[in-house]
Amino acid sequence: MWGYVRLELTRSVRDGGYVIFGIVMPVVMYLVFTNLGLAPGDRHDAAIYTMVSMAAYGALGGAFNNGSGIAEDRAAGWLRQLRLTPLTSAQVVAGKVVTGAVAVVPSIAAVLLAGVLVNHVTLPPQRWLAIVALLWAGTVPFSLLGLGNGYRLSGQSAAMANIATMLTLSILGGLWVPVENFPSWLRAIAEWTPSNSYAGLSWRIAFGDVPTLRQVVLLSAWLLVFGVYAVYGYRRAGRRA
Amino acid sequence: MTTKTADAVSLTSATKRFGPVRAVDGLTLAIPRGQTVALLGPNGAGKSTTIALLLGLLPPDSGRAALFGLDPEEAVRQGLVGAMPQEGGLIPRVTVRELLTFVSGTYAAPLPLDRVLTLARIGDLRDRRVDRLSGGQAQRVRFAMAVCGDPDLIVLDEPTAALDVEARREFWDGMRGLASQGKTILFSTHYLDEADEHADRVVVLGHGRVIADGTSAEIKRAAALTTVSVTADGESAWLSTLPGVRHMEIRGGRVHLRSGDSDATVMALARAGAVRELEVVPADLEDAFVALTAKENA
Repeated sequence: MWGYVRLELTRSVRDGGYVIFGIVMPVVMYLVFTNLGLAPGDRHDAAIYTMVSMAAYGALGGAFNNGSGIAEDRAAGWLRQLRLTPLTSAQVVAGKVVTGAVAVVPSIAAVLLAGVLVNHVTLPPQRWLAIVALLWAGTVPFSLLGLGNGYRLSGQSAAMANIATMLTLSILGGLWVPVENFPSWLRAIAEWTPSNSYAGLSWRIAFGDVPTLRQVVLLSAWLLVFGVYAVYGYRRAGRRA
Repeated sequence: MTTKTADAVSLTSATKRFGPVRAVDGLTLAIPRGQTVALLGPNGAGKSTTIALLLGLLPPDSGRAALFGLDPEEAVRQGLVGAMPQEGGLIPRVTVRELLTFVSGTYAAPLPLDRVLTLARIGDLRDRRVDRLSGGQAQRVRFAMAVCGDPDLIVLDEPTAALDVEARREFWDGMRGLASQGKTILFSTHYLDEADEHADRVVVLGHGRVIADGTSAEIKRAAALTTVSVTADGESAWLSTLPGVRHMEIRGGRVHLRSGDSDATVMALARAGAVRELEVVPADLEDAFVALTAKENA
């Protein structure tokens, strides 16, 4: 299975979509937002808040891109080829999930590093640890949603669906513009999105608060929904492969 | 049944329907270890579906598939099988070496990479990206994926479809090497000459059923594969009674005799002095197939 993970990571690194959506764009947007005064609050707070937003945005890009790869693989006959190797299907799915989990690390790391090196963000070590852990673990629901799309849809439409979902969740979840600036009706919707809960956990930690119960419950509920969706997609794909 | 003695491939009354079409229709086939078997038939005969059933890629609607006495999925999991589907299996953004290293790594006792590269004649392609290969090069890489785990059973679905004549010859040279190591090889083709030259045994499929099964000489005899034609002089009904002749047809003054033993037929024609504009044409698969199905329906 680790051979599979290594192969998939090699492919990700050479994938322009992953590098652009997952790493380059979030960092560029972060630096633009914070240094052109587009982010709210005082400069240091803005640098922290937007750092979490953009790391979350990049992680979403990495997580969804991983799912798009599945549709591409199925179209190429690669899923069938994998079924003809001694790898079990559980190993293949686990390998893909692990790949997704590893693939979001550079996205998160790049934005956090930009925060430290360019915007001189300083936080106590335990807050750094908690933010990294939550940003990382919180990508699982999005990975599952991306995989579900990848299993259920064909190559091009899966990629489109994943990019559209990723952008919708990023914007609606307040990763680009804080939900405080939304009209109240939109804000009411935004606060139910998984992306808002996901980034919300780390926003709270970054400013020394404890995540709210609502955020934890909401993200867990979405995890369940997207998990069921991914399993459903995989079963359907298995019948056709 | 133990895995030590079981047939490499065993299909028992396997049936697979796609909607109203019976792609595989009560097919029974056993292949002992070490045989090289050609699965021969025109497009739509059920070759690929048969292969998908025996590899466990599709579940049969009824009947049973087994490899080495095991459930196909289990045999694949134990690394006993290497397979090359008709198309696909190559992914973008990896090199030939990276791809083969990965596939080899999933098997317990794979061949050394250099040996695989030599066997598939892709040593010079090792650092090329898989998505930048020509059709023939890609086909060789796909073949390498099937054999790199050193499996006991190698299943190839139309392995030479994308190859030119020279590449085809080189491909079969490599296959002979594998067969001589005692591997069981099953390949499908719609080229009769390939089945003829490279298989110990030919299984002819039509409409999802086995319609002939034997050595290529036996198949040719059964199919009355050769057409002997002469220009007719006067009454010619007696020609149909010549040795080997199975079927006679008269078109535009020419008599066409389909013969299961063309040597005997020609000798008899010569003795009778009826060799005006003699022509001997080995039939193609289409003719053989028509002959075999006609016989089956009779």
